Amino acid sequence: MNVTRRTLLLTSAIGLAATMVAGSAFAASPPLKKKDTYKVGFAQTESNNPWRLAQTASMQEEAKKRGWQLVYTDAASSAAKQVADVNSMIAQGVDLIFLAPREEKPLIPAIKAAKNAGIPVILLDRSVDPSLAKAGEDYVTFIGSDFIEEGQRVADWLVANGNGKTKIIELEGSTGSSPANDRKKGFDDVIAKHSDFKILASQTGDFARDKGRQVAETLLQAHPDADVIYAHNDEMAIGAISAIEAAGKVPGKDILVLSIDGGKEAVQGVVDGKIAAVVECNPRFGPKAFDTAVAYANGDKIPEKIINPDQFYDSKNAKELLGTAY
Amino acid sequence: MTDLTAQPKQRLFDPFEFLARYGTLIALALLIVFNLIFTRNFASMQTVNVNLTQVCTIVIVAVGMTLVIGTGGIDLSVGSLMAISGALAPMIFLGKILPIGNIYLAVAAAMIIAVLIAGIFGLFNGWLIARFRIQPIVATLVLFIAGRGIAQVMTNGNLQTFRVPEFQFIGLGRILGVPVQVILMAIIVIIAAWVLKRTVFGRQIIAIGGNERAAELSGIAVSKVKLIVYGISGLCAGIAGLIVIAINSSSDANLVGLGMELDAIAAVAVGGTLLSGGKATIIGTLLGAMTIQLVRYTLLSNGVPDAAALVVKAGIIVLAVWIQQQGRHA
Repeated sequence: MNVTRRTLLLTSAIGLAATMVAGSAFAASPPLKKKDTYKVGFAQTESNNPWRLAQTASMQEEAKKRGWQLVYTDAASSAAKQVADVNSMIAQGVDLIFLAPREEKPLIPAIKAAKNAGIPVILLDRSVDPSLAKAGEDYVTFIGSDFIEEGQRVADWLVANGNGKTKIIELEGSTGSSPANDRKKGFDDVIAKHSDFKILASQTGDFARDKGRQVAETLLQAHPDADVIYAHNDEMAIGAISAIEAAGKVPGKDILVLSIDGGKEAVQGVVDGKIAAVVECNPRFGPKAFDTAVAYANGDKIPEKIINPDQFYDSKNAKELLGTAY
Repeated sequence: MTDLTAQPKQRLFDPFEFLARYGTLIALALLIVFNLIFTRNFASMQTVNVNLTQVCTIVIVAVGMTLVIGTGGIDLSVGSLMAISGALAPMIFLGKILPIGNIYLAVAAAMIIAVLIAGIFGLFNGWLIARFRIQPIVATLVLFIAGRGIAQVMTNGNLQTFRVPEFQFIGLGRILGVPVQVILMAIIVIIAAWVLKRTVFGRQIIAIGGNERAAELSGIAVSKVKLIVYGISGLCAGIAGLIVIAINSSSDANLVGLGMELDAIAAVAVGGTLLSGGKATIIGTLLGAMTIQLVRYTLLSNGVPDAAALVVKAGIIVLAVWIQQQGRHA
């Protein structure tokens, strides 16, 4: 074909217009075509704890049940690898990406890249910086637990079932992480409304068993009148139990231990009477995540945030629910 | 310190010399007095127990580190070696590698093999340093990075949890009311202090740290001494790794011994051992570790956030090293 100056101008003008139309359409999160089965990606952040393993298992199970193809990657605790993982999913041409973003900011480029490639992204269990990426525009939605509510539920249980145990030591998660901030806020706000309850000390145990134990030992020694320990996760709660036992007290009797996460070991602790109550942070994302993807393909309106319901364990139900704990 | 006595002394009392020698002890005493006044429930046996059990893994690792630093070296791999021994032992006594019927036999095998493997990795460090003359900070960086990776690969990065009282005795048990790990720490400290002060091997360590060339010319088997010293450091790390997992009834290859190398080096520095080698004191290291531990305890129990405690810890290290330098040049 003979390319004249006029045809070149014309075609480029048409091309430009098309891009602009497409560009305005892309302001919203890219759509998902209606199909019987999909090829979806799941970019996991790490697999070094039972919670993550349970989450992965739930996603794989649900994909198998529906006959969808699941492209699974594990970023092994590296945000950089996770960005690369998402890019390789884009290259493999998946229909949709489930992303459990490791950190709030570093994963933004991956989300933008998926959007530019026309692939919708659904965030799982952790969100991204809301000033840089928005639900409904850059990604479809965020599915996860409400960490503030988890803290509130622990506090509500304590207010109702404390039986005179009111002096609290709080073991916080890693300073600055969103579960630590929110679990503290939810709990502290409820406690502040009840003047008979008092938080004697609140220190970070970094979500780790060894650190949680050491901090609990120190705080128990400095505050021997404490009769409640609230830990932001199971690992620190289990560490705190060792600390209580080392101090010659009986967990569950002298000191109530409260926790969040609800892994099998902690629920067993409830059955044994060492942990008073634990709020589950539900790792079973499969059903909700895949349902959301189908709803999105159907063109339903997806809320900006979808809460994955959490189980609650105390002495009343722990025994019968032990089998279902992750 | 023969050179000092040879010099005509201008002043009878040199405050820096005095501080360099007794600074750690004074700091520890001041801290205890401060706590007795301001920290609630400080004067009790349980406080002693809490602090001793929390400090003992650092002390055990720092003893090995003192010997290494005494030769003018450094061992960055100790935290990773703790992770390896901590990952390996449960695999053995839980029968994941080979089934051993008798639990006592399994536990004994687990302890011995895990500690020995850590020791062998330590020897590997020493071999790199002695045979290829690689700088210690680089040579031990190899296992600092790779060691944790090895531990993670062995366990697939999974948390191992267990309830084996026969094994956990070393972390939770008590003999005549004294925690077992504190007894272990005391034995290791006493043996190391004796070796460093009273044996030829101890003098050789100091000689190598003071002037390696001179030591070699005077007939000391420098390579052999270095090899052994890094091996000992590995063994100490292996023991500390077992204690950590025993207390916690779980082993997480990602977390066991994380940051331990720096805690140990800090204890050694605060204790008055010269980081350039040639002067080392095990008792100083013990006091240094206890000072750092007590600072942390003091801040925590008085409601100061952990992040601030880290800054204070760094401040103490700077102060200790500065006093040492002043004491040397005075």
